[in-house]
Amino acid sequence: MAGSRLEKIGTIYTRTTGLLRSGALNWQDRPLWYDIYEAFPPKEEPRFDRPIPNMKLKTIFYKEDKIRAMFHRNNKHIGTTNMSNNKYTSLTQRFIETYQKLESENRDLPEEELYKQAIDVLKWDREVRAQAENEEAISLSTAFKEAKSKQDSDQDKIKIDVKDIFK
Amino acid sequence: MLKNIIRYPFNNLNSVRKLSALSQSQADHKGFVEITRDEALQHPDYFSVHNLFTVKDLFDARVHYGHKEGSLDERMLPYIYGSRLGHVVFDLDKTAEHLRQALNIAAHIAYRGGIILFFLRGSQNSHIVECTAKECNEYAHTRFWRGGIFTNSEKQFGAVTRLPDLCIFLNTLNNVLTQHTAIRDAAKMAIATIGIVDSNCNPNLITYPVPGNDDSPIAIEFYCKLFKNAIMRGKQKRLEHQ
Repeated sequence: MAGSRLEKIGTIYTRTTGLLRSGALNWQDRPLWYDIYEAFPPKEEPRFDRPIPNMKLKTIFYKEDKIRAMFHRNNKHIGTTNMSNNKYTSLTQRFIETYQKLESENRDLPEEELYKQAIDVLKWDREVRAQAENEEAISLSTAFKEAKSKQDSDQDKIKIDVKDIFK
Repeated sequence: MLKNIIRYPFNNLNSVRKLSALSQSQADHKGFVEITRDEALQHPDYFSVHNLFTVKDLFDARVHYGHKEGSLDERMLPYIYGSRLGHVVFDLDKTAEHLRQALNIAAHIAYRGGIILFFLRGSQNSHIVECTAKECNEYAHTRFWRGGIFTNSEKQFGAVTRLPDLCIFLNTLNNVLTQHTAIRDAAKMAIATIGIVDSNCNPNLITYPVPGNDDSPIAIEFYCKLFKNAIMRGKQKRLEHQ
């Protein structure tokens, strides 16, 4: 089959079109993709010598990055985050949310004061959660004790002596 | 897998012409009218591949993660949203647009009975690609690319060889530095290509580039699923119209 292997000149489409126009390639023998390419041409011509676009790589920053930076500057060890878990927000994210909430409630407070308050809120949150866990643990152990004592009393009631069974 | 590229009946060699799948499939399937094909081409999304995924799915499959800023290929700049603290992030709206077009092309090629060949280098993800190719009854090449498989096929296989009609590259690099030779070879042999191009790749020679992360297994799995579905839809329509 006739062909042009100069991949650096034009595109696969222009090269095949040239072959078809010159009669080197029969219309019946055109590649399978030819009609599809004509119907759905690629967004950019797939030329080898396509010039490098004159664009700048922009940096992505958000407004809350200031708060994030402040939090990370003052807290170097905030533990690891499981990135595949989308259910829970990270500690930093929670801090940012509390900070923004506080900021919207009292706008005239300085940054340091807002930071301290947000940290206090987070600490308080953690204490409440720890307490709840503690309570649960206590209730579990008490439940176990209760069950145990109940079992003992039941055994007292039944009062079977092993010796009596094998008489 | 290598040998699988050559698919032709030995007793019917004369009727097989290289890159002439159109006439061949016409001869094979006489009920397959060309008019239906033209109708399919006039429809902007004949196989409704647009509903295969959403931008949220792309995000969940971590398609937006690029490499570090230092390894950025500047030809990728139009597809990139920006750099977040030194890491390149893709613009998923543009990725979705390109991916939908690529899926449409894959479905159309499958609809016309073309041969599709999947490529991927790297041991971590190659098995999943080979499985995908098997599931949709197409071919995969995930090993070292011997030069000349496309360009010198008649000598290498000892017979007239039907080359693939579409190459899908799930990554376009051999290692972190060199481009897959099959991209150049496909361009030489006038074979259309679809390629997932990461932020350190060159999209120029690929006919339908799809900007996106090509390293994470979850992303590769996602692309495999999409291309499989698109190809299956094309084949399904082909069966219906026969």
